[in-house]
Amino acid sequence: MPTDTKRLRGPDVSKSPSLYFSKPPATVASHGPRADGRQRDQVDIRPIFVRCGLVSQAKGSAYIEAGNTKLMCCAYGPRETERKDETDMKCGRLITDMRFAPFSCPERTSWIQGTQDRDLSLMLQESLQPAICLHKYPRSQIEVNVMVLENNGSVLAHAITCASLALADAGIEMYDLVLGCSMRQDGASYVVDPSYIEESSCSSDRENQGCLTVAFLPSLNQISGLQSDGEMTEATLTTGVRTCIEGCYKLYPVIQQALASTVRKAAPPPSES
Amino acid sequence: MATVQVCEAEKVYILHGIRDDLRVDGRGCEDYRHMEIETDVVSNTDGSAKVTLGHTAVLVGIKAEIGKPRPMVPDEGYLEFFVDCSANATPEFEGRGGEELGMELSTTLYKVFNNKHSVDLKSLCITAAEHCWVLYVDVLLLQCDGNLYDAISIAIKAALFNTKIPRVHISVDEEGGKEIELSDDPYDCMRLDVTNVPCIVTLCKVGHRHVVDATLQEKACSVASLIISVTQKGTITCVRKVGGGSLDPESIFEMTEAGKRVGKALHAPLIKLLQQEESLGKKRQKVGFLG
Amino acid sequence: MSPMKLCVPGDKLCSVEDCSPGTGVYLRHGYIYSSLAGYVLRKKEGEELPVISVVRETETQLLPDVGTIVTCKVTSINPRYAKVHILYVGSTPLKDRFRGTIRKEDVRATEKDKVETYKSFRPGDIVLAKVISLGDVQSNYLLTTAENELGVVVAHSEAGAQMVPISWCEMQCPQTHTKEFRKVARVQPEFLQA
Repeated sequence: MPTDTKRLRGPDVSKSPSLYFSKPPATVASHGPRADGRQRDQVDIRPIFVRCGLVSQAKGSAYIEAGNTKLMCCAYGPRETERKDETDMKCGRLITDMRFAPFSCPERTSWIQGTQDRDLSLMLQESLQPAICLHKYPRSQIEVNVMVLENNGSVLAHAITCASLALADAGIEMYDLVLGCSMRQDGASYVVDPSYIEESSCSSDRENQGCLTVAFLPSLNQISGLQSDGEMTEATLTTGVRTCIEGCYKLYPVIQQALASTVRKAAPPPSES
Repeated sequence: MATVQVCEAEKVYILHGIRDDLRVDGRGCEDYRHMEIETDVVSNTDGSAKVTLGHTAVLVGIKAEIGKPRPMVPDEGYLEFFVDCSANATPEFEGRGGEELGMELSTTLYKVFNNKHSVDLKSLCITAAEHCWVLYVDVLLLQCDGNLYDAISIAIKAALFNTKIPRVHISVDEEGGKEIELSDDPYDCMRLDVTNVPCIVTLCKVGHRHVVDATLQEKACSVASLIISVTQKGTITCVRKVGGGSLDPESIFEMTEAGKRVGKALHAPLIKLLQQEESLGKKRQKVGFLG
Repeated sequence: MSPMKLCVPGDKLCSVEDCSPGTGVYLRHGYIYSSLAGYVLRKKEGEELPVISVVRETETQLLPDVGTIVTCKVTSINPRYAKVHILYVGSTPLKDRFRGTIRKEDVRATEKDKVETYKSFRPGDIVLAKVISLGDVQSNYLLTTAENELGVVVAHSEAGAQMVPISWCEMQCPQTHTKEFRKVARVQPEFLQA
């Protein structure tokens, strides 16, 4: 195609001006109440809304909303494995896929799964696998697909919770539910269930700051997933893990109730015989 | 993933040994295997290192290139990690077989270095918002015999220590245009401060205990492991649970404590060794890949 | 009557001394836990401990297991084996498609060496078979019809009419009266009304 050489052409790639513009307000105050009115240094998670069974085609599905973080998850299976090269045929396989909708983040992302998504999928798989009775599903695979509709922080933690709900809704046998919680350490203070801005803000270069996500099996008291980055001392990390576990226990009754109401709605109790 | 088949009887044998703090190859639970490090092994790189740990062999090459800083951090350079699981290591990696493991390893490396103190990224900046050094850290797995994370992190630290970035001079001409000039003198170069570069310690939960530097056989006996990256000062830059099992909170705390202890002890001898090797200069006996 | 108890995976239901585990539950450290979200059901049978299980509105997905009788549809045949799709496990329909294989030597119990798959099955036949193995890495579920009660139950002739069995190895078309070979199942009368 002939190009118009008389005009000055714009650059090939463009970036949102907000990236350059929003630099100063991106630093969040590291003291006082948080932007959404929650408490700092307390296990103050966002109120969540969960519901099962939105997608009629799927075996099980769930939707979760925590503040502006919204995601949905579908579970399919057990069905015949596609990959036959797996050596272990006695156990089933769990396949996870986590994707961000292109409009879910402030900056548009492509539909193609990036390395970040694939890493999150892997984390999701490792967090869910210990909870599923895979030995009951020989030669078959169970699929879990998570779609992030809106990202406002703590995506992985909520994805874990949502996926375990969808699996329970699908009637997949599980040892326990899996709940996720994350926190951000910032110097001496911390915030639980951080929002997107709190997650990405890095106030000065003080020591001891980082993000931590924990996946927890509340009834078995086991940690099935753990991931952190940033810089933390061992003591901070230990208290951080404890804080996240506490956060998970706060979620537990909500999730239990949501599941129970789904079961009740699906069918009246069977007659006792 | 490179795995071995271990029969039930052997599993029991390994498990009982670890319970009594005696492993199949005679090590204690927190001992590493024999480790060999050689830096400056590939002449075409700006810094390289080869690490063998037992039968695990890892080669790291670092190339410095001039790029554009990221818009969010205009005054910093950055690091790019890529892990290649070549089919040399095990035939399972043939074709796309190693892609998944390679991705897992490289994303973990990004997390390990995702903090302000590991590498002084500001020193990699040439002119703010225009030019910076990008360090491409390419990891090649030559042999797999368990404990890839630890070997890779040590090799990266050694290679970063070895990295020589040429100095650049910026001259401004009359019209205000900037010109970057690379120094001609091969000895006029910038070195990186690697004191805060973390090392990864992988702890495998086997039975009720955990072991450091697990072999493939030991790994087959464990359901979950914890990788912890520790700096010289003992700060933890990344923790991650890998594997299909779960761990109870108490053992996670025990494992982080042990990981911190082991990781901290790893740094001083490593730095000493690297300095010693460099001080030998030209007299250094080259081992290469056949050693 | 009190409303039935609901539970979610991981709920502790009772000790093994009080009940024996049924379906939808698992055992850990001497206690019975739920592995499904559903209603808790206790069944008392005679003097034994009541069986505790968790039930859901829909049948939990069954998977073909060794020894179960499955209903399948033949998709293709070749001289060595017939390929089938498993449609039902026992009397529960499968939601997803599972593939199986009936090898030549598993077609009937006697004179295995004289079996010809072309004279036993045709694509489109509905076959009752039993799972003998979950198969290994390369193969699918391995099925057998080497019992009198197993084999073809529904087959169509070349003319398209549903055929009537006339012996254990032959079926006849009611329209053209041509006979075709099949490994015919002797369907047990109690299953017929279904």
